[in-house]
Amino acid sequence: MTRRWLPNTAAALAALVTVFPIYWMVLSALKPTGEIESSRPRPWTWHPTLEHFRHALGVSGFGRYFLNSAVVALCVVALSALIAFLAAVALTKFRFRFRTTILVLFLIAQMVPVEALTIPLFFEMRDLGRVVPGVGLNTLVSLVLVQLAFSLPFAIWMLRGFVAAVPDELEEAALIDGASRGTVLWRILFPLVAPGLAATSVFSFITAWNDFIFAKTFIISATQNQTLPAALLVFFKPDENDWGGIMAASTLMTFPVLVFFVFVQRRLVSGLGGAVKD
Amino acid sequence: MIIRRLGGLVVATLALAACAPSTAQPADTGDAKTGTLRVWLFDEAGRAPKEALVNEAVAEFRAAHKDVSVDVSYLATDAAARAAKFKGAFNDPASAPDVTEFGSTDLAGYVAAGGMADITKDIDGWSEKGDVPADMMKTVTVGDKAYGLPWWVGVRALYYRTDLFSSLGLAAPTSYAELVEAAKRIRAAQPELVGITVGGQYVFGALPFVWDAGGDLATRSGATYTATVNTAASKAGVKAYTDLFAPEICPAQQCVDLTGGKTVSTFAAGTAGMGIIGNFNRSAIDAGPVKGKYAVVPLPGAKPGTIAPAFAGGNNLGVMKATKHRTLAVQFAQLLASKKYQLKLYDALGNLPTMTSARAEVVAKDPFLKPFMDTIAAGTRFVPADPAWTTIDSQKIVINMLQKIITGKATVDQATEEANTLMNNAFAGK
Amino acid sequence: MRGGRNGHGRLMPLWLLLPTLAVLVPLFAYPLYQLGLLSTLEFGQPQVSGGVPARFLGAGNYTTLLTDGEFWTVLAQTVGFAAACVVATLAVGAALAVLLTRVDRVPRLLLSFAALAAWAAPAMTGSVVWMFLFDTNLGLVNEVLGLSGYNWLYDRDVAFLLIGAVVVWHSFPFVMVTLYAGIQAVPKPVLEAAELDGAGPWVAWRRVIVPILRPILAIVVIQSIIWDFKVFTQVYVMTGGGGIAGQNMVLNVYAYQKAFASSQYGLGSAIGVVTTAILVVVTLFYLRALRRTGEAL
Repeated sequence: MTRRWLPNTAAALAALVTVFPIYWMVLSALKPTGEIESSRPRPWTWHPTLEHFRHALGVSGFGRYFLNSAVVALCVVALSALIAFLAAVALTKFRFRFRTTILVLFLIAQMVPVEALTIPLFFEMRDLGRVVPGVGLNTLVSLVLVQLAFSLPFAIWMLRGFVAAVPDELEEAALIDGASRGTVLWRILFPLVAPGLAATSVFSFITAWNDFIFAKTFIISATQNQTLPAALLVFFKPDENDWGGIMAASTLMTFPVLVFFVFVQRRLVSGLGGAVKD
Repeated sequence: MIIRRLGGLVVATLALAACAPSTAQPADTGDAKTGTLRVWLFDEAGRAPKEALVNEAVAEFRAAHKDVSVDVSYLATDAAARAAKFKGAFNDPASAPDVTEFGSTDLAGYVAAGGMADITKDIDGWSEKGDVPADMMKTVTVGDKAYGLPWWVGVRALYYRTDLFSSLGLAAPTSYAELVEAAKRIRAAQPELVGITVGGQYVFGALPFVWDAGGDLATRSGATYTATVNTAASKAGVKAYTDLFAPEICPAQQCVDLTGGKTVSTFAAGTAGMGIIGNFNRSAIDAGPVKGKYAVVPLPGAKPGTIAPAFAGGNNLGVMKATKHRTLAVQFAQLLASKKYQLKLYDALGNLPTMTSARAEVVAKDPFLKPFMDTIAAGTRFVPADPAWTTIDSQKIVINMLQKIITGKATVDQATEEANTLMNNAFAGK
Repeated sequence: MRGGRNGHGRLMPLWLLLPTLAVLVPLFAYPLYQLGLLSTLEFGQPQVSGGVPARFLGAGNYTTLLTDGEFWTVLAQTVGFAAACVVATLAVGAALAVLLTRVDRVPRLLLSFAALAAWAAPAMTGSVVWMFLFDTNLGLVNEVLGLSGYNWLYDRDVAFLLIGAVVVWHSFPFVMVTLYAGIQAVPKPVLEAAELDGAGPWVAWRRVIVPILRPILAIVVIQSIIWDFKVFTQVYVMTGGGGIAGQNMVLNVYAYQKAFASSQYGLGSAIGVVTTAILVVVTLFYLRALRRTGEAL
């Protein structure tokens, strides 16, 4: 044990440095305004207050925005996991022409700056909304659709390794036993790839949860369909930022992601490890 | 095989769709007399008093129009987010509100975008038209058409700390030289303070110096603007402002990235001797430790006893072109912009009324406003009323110019020359 | 599940890819195609909504862009900044991943949790918190270091250092967790054999772990390049859109400031196309280098 004191201390120190900004965020959210704006900041407070959280939650519709963000993020996670799984199977368990081309296209897709696509997508969504009511601008569906499109290429790319890690013999044995392709896909491959799905869902979740640019561009008149990042904006004032409000809202925004992470963490690690066996 | 066929299909689909994104179709505007009137107003630091007066106006409006409901949304104060909202409303007429509040500097761009309705005739028939001064009407006019009703106006003047001034035996500055002198004395006496808080991002703080020197960002000839920031007069003004970022007044390290809003909070926090601050910032100042320890005079010009021309900013109320309730929208805008509600707005937020009689009333009531009224009386100025202002603003051409000089990255000559070229490019639509 | 046994099997990959194509063709390929089209037009707000016809410029937007001296400065700055961030992220991530394999349970859990927290913090909130810590007047860092009134964003390089630190803070957890998972998956006997051969930890890492991890390293490197080259939020939020006199401008912020904020969508699209092209070239070079060392996709 003693020979481990050096790495142990190093790890604890690294953890401290890494978590400090998060600690500062939560702390500032709990400090009274006077202490936040003091020119002598202290890394503790004797007068914790929930006033900023109350204020943040009191902003009209914050709860609603929270729910909207969660709905969008979870829909994107579920759909992208499902679709990416099928595509990853196609791209790893089959050999066909243009397979590599498609893979490279998925990679290239990640290189397009998202900001540049907002304008064409805006028009597409507007026109779509005129044809199919309920999916155009100002709807959560429009956000789910674009987030799905932006998370898929990476999700497929990540999942490939996990699917490849499942030995071909398993499926072949099942096929010989007379199982249908559907059974092989859902009963054998899917459960085995599940840790990988957890790992990739983390990315889809973050993309969707943090999205600001599409929420800002697409949700124009239907304020009830705004998502969290838009609510955060309320605290940025031209004359003086409401730091307490910003920190409280940031805490509220970070927390669900952290919970999601801790929830999938074990699968994340075992999943990402699985990709190596490729 | 399959994939190739599929690839062909994709190519075919794309070929079919080979046209630019469809632009916004002309909205089928209408003039319904019932339904929901959608209104966009700007959010405020303390929204409650504004909300209260708007709700009162809504109640009054609904009493006269039984079958109409009014849906008011408050737009975030973040400029980028607000700009995105307006673009969205222009690009998708279905999402546009009927009535909107807008900043006067944005109007030219909004009109070029085809977003605002021409309400010249409606204003001509408005009972309160005679009370709106001509210079205010100018801020809502593009070409010879009016696109809005002036709602409130704001001007900036020089706030100074009376406690510091009296303890140092200083008098309120009446010239640029005195201002510099006072700033240096304050900082010398109390090095933890800046003499005057100025900001490298504070364009409306810098412009009065340029105007006072006889310069301007651009001058208009006919329908087009030409940048004039590289003229000798403009350069003298730019130099006067950037000279304030000296170690013995407002050190570049601390002041180069301040915005106008930040200079307000610096003064409010009690860490500045003076500040170029608006009448509308009074409540923010009074919320801090300097309450009761300051006074206001007009920002002095270079020549003793003169007043540097101030920027006349403010917000207006307009009707969106895409409205389906044109008459109702105009009526609601007229109600909110009426003298009655301008006075209520002053009580709620301290925003100066645009109407002559309303302004006279509040000035008589509140001596605090005198220096601001003197500033207005001395003549106010405006940024180029051209769609290119949006570009100049968002590309930070003026801010970059100021910051390059302040940080010593460029001389006044180099920076103004560069900004001049960039502004001319913007005016040429490049 | 290898295809080719019968006609049905041949079609299988198509069926499996169909949902993906159904999403990506209308929502990615088509807008991308429109992007290319827009980049050849004069397309601003008056064109979008003001009824002004869009003018075909051909390569006009590209000429405007490529002859703008600022573009090249920004490009060079972006490449340098992104490269530094990629190297730093990989170095920190890899070092901590190795560290994780050598510590007891409690420190391991602590570091894992801290990393997850940094990863979970949205780019915007993370940037805001760091900015607050380094605030000229209210910041804890200046207070602790006794640098009252020191502006971390005043000097270009110091500002880049600070922004880079935030970028690394946000992105090293991905590298750390992925590599740690990879190391965990290395079969124990292989490592034990290396140890028996008398290989020290450094040699074991270079000779045994790195080769096994290479595919995962490839993914991590490519992703880091893509993410760091396209960095936007940290720079935009922390420097207020490009820093003092635009000194901390990177490509994506430049595109936003130059084009999108002033609704010059044609020019903005051209910048988007150029950004993508640069990334494609960089990545293809990297892939080729990988292939040369015996690793394929």
